[in-house]
Amino acid sequence: MGKGQPSYTDEEFVAAIRRGDDRALAQLYRLHLPMVTHFVLQNSGSEDEAKDVYQEGVMVFYEKVRDGSLELSCQIKTYLYAVCRRLWLKRLAEKGRFGARLDDHEPYLETGAEADLAEAQERDKRFGLMAEALEQIGEPCRSLLEGFYLLDRSMQQLTADFGYTNADNAKNQKYKCLVRLKKLFFSHYKEEESY
Amino acid sequence: MMTEADYYALFDAYRKGELAGAERANLERRLAADPNFAQRYTDFEELTETLTSYGERRATRQKLKAFQAEIDAEDETVVETGYPDMPVLHISPMERKLREFWGAHRATMAVAASVAILAVFVTLLGMEWWRTSQSSSLYGYTVLRREVERIKRNQRAMDRAINQIDGSKTADAASQSKFSGTGFALTADGYLVTSYHVIQGADSLLIESRDRQHYHAEPVFTDVAHDLAILRIKDKNFNGFKRLPYSFKRGQSDLGEKVYTLGYPREDLVFNDGSLSARSGFEGDTAFYQVSIPVNPGNSGGPLLDDRGNLIGVVSGRQMDVQSAAFATKSSYLMKLVDSLAAASPEAPYTLPRTNLLAGTSRPQQIRKLQDYVFVVKVYE
Repeated sequence: MGKGQPSYTDEEFVAAIRRGDDRALAQLYRLHLPMVTHFVLQNSGSEDEAKDVYQEGVMVFYEKVRDGSLELSCQIKTYLYAVCRRLWLKRLAEKGRFGARLDDHEPYLETGAEADLAEAQERDKRFGLMAEALEQIGEPCRSLLEGFYLLDRSMQQLTADFGYTNADNAKNQKYKCLVRLKKLFFSHYKEEESY
Repeated sequence: MMTEADYYALFDAYRKGELAGAERANLERRLAADPNFAQRYTDFEELTETLTSYGERRATRQKLKAFQAEIDAEDETVVETGYPDMPVLHISPMERKLREFWGAHRATMAVAASVAILAVFVTLLGMEWWRTSQSSSLYGYTVLRREVERIKRNQRAMDRAINQIDGSKTADAASQSKFSGTGFALTADGYLVTSYHVIQGADSLLIESRDRQHYHAEPVFTDVAHDLAILRIKDKNFNGFKRLPYSFKRGQSDLGEKVYTLGYPREDLVFNDGSLSARSGFEGDTAFYQVSIPVNPGNSGGPLLDDRGNLIGVVSGRQMDVQSAAFATKSSYLMKLVDSLAAASPEAPYTLPRTNLLAGTSRPQQIRKLQDYVFVVKVYE
C-alpha cells in the first residue's frame, strides 16, 4: 500500500492490533476498504452503506482480536469479506430487496465469521441497552460514570472536575449513580431476556 | 464498618489491579467464603465490564470514523475502482454521483431496456402479421388480384431513368401500379365489371386493353358481399366499344357445363378452361359457383363464359388447400345489381347486349371476338 508505512503480514497485523497499535489498525482498514466497497456497490448498495458495513465488519474483527479470542482459519481479507457479506445480506433483507441473491466473486469459506458475528450482535444489544440506561440516568451521573469507566479518569481528577468538596463526596455520588445505572440496566436486560 | 460505597470503591480498585497484596488476599478470601458477597461482586463486575467495553466500542468507532474521514479527505475526487492495483480515476463529484446511481440501478435499467426493445419488435412484427392476415382472406380463401412484382417496378424505374437521360420522355410516367386484375365490358358505352377486391383501397384506376390503349376509370358501384364492382371509363375522347359479342345469363347454369375464362395473370391475355363443378362457392355461399379452372393471381374480375358464349360469372378467388377449386360470382347477382342501379337512376340507362354473336362458333373464334373486351385493371394506392 505504499504511503511510506511498513506493510504487515496477517500475523503481524493481529499481533500489532492486539497491542493496541492504531497505525496498524488504520492500515488494515485502508487495505481492505476497496474490496468491501466494490462488493456492496456491485450488490445495489451506495458508497455510504459500504462504509457503514465495512466499519461494522472491522469492529467485529477488532473486538475479537482485542479479546484474544480470535481463531483465524483463513486470511484476514477472507474473514472481513465473510463478515461484511453477512452484514450486507442482513441489510438487504431488512430493506426487503432482492431477497438473498448476491453477486459473489470470491468463494465463501467457512471462516467462523458467522459465529463471531452472532456473538458481536448479542454484544451490540447489550451495548444498546447500556447506552439507553446511560441516557436515562441523566447528568451529572452520566458524565461522572463516563469519566471514570470510559475515559479512565482518577477519582481525584473527577473530584476536581465536578467541584466536589472532597474525594469521599465524589465516591458516594459515583456509588449512587452506579446503583441507579445498575437498576436501569438490569431491569432492561432482564426484560429483554424474558422475551 | 464499610459502607456500600466503600465496597464499590474496593471493587473498582480490585478490578483495576490497584490493591496491594494483603488487602487483595483478604478480599479474595471473602469472595470465596461468602456466596452473597461473591454475587454482589459478580453483578458489579458485569455492570462495569459492560460499561467499559461499551466505552471501548465507542472509542473504536470514533477511531474507524477518523480513518474513514482521513481516506475521504485524501480522495475527495478519486473513485475507488474496486481493484487496488488498477489506476484510480479522477472524476468530478457529479460524475461520481452518476456512477453510484448506475452501479445501484443498472440491473433494473437493463431489464427495462430489454423490455422496451422487445415491446418494439413484438409490436412491429404483430402489425406486419396482422396486415398480411388482413389482406389474404381467412381459412385458405385467396383472392386473385395480382401484386405487381417489385422487380418489374424497379425495371421500369430504371427504364425511365435511362429514357430521361436520353432526353426522350415517355408518356407512361406513372405506371407503378400496386395491384392488377382483370375486367370486362358490361355495356358498349363504357361500363366495365371487375371484382370488388381488385379495386379495394384504390386511389385511381387505369384500364389497359389488349392493344395497349389506356383509359382512366372510376368505380360507379361496389358490392362487397358478392365481390363485384362496376366501373365507368371517364376519358373524354373515349367513344364507346364496338358491339359486345356476348350476352349475360340471368338464370343459373348447370353442373358439368364446360366453362372458360380469359384474364391477365401475366402481361399477356391467358385462356383457361374447365367445368362448372358446384353451384355454391366457398363454404356454401350460393352467390358463387365453384369451377375447376386453374386460376392465378390476376385472374380476378375475369369473365366466366359457357360454351355458347353466355357470360355466367365473374372470377373471384380460389381455395388454397383444395385442388383447382376456383370461385366465381354468379351472373344472376350481377344482373340484379345492374337492374337496381338502372332503376335508381333512369337518366343513365345500362344498355346491356341482347344478342349473342358467339353461339355456334368454335372456341378460337369466340376468343378472337372476345379478347378486345377483356382488360387489365391496374390499381394505384
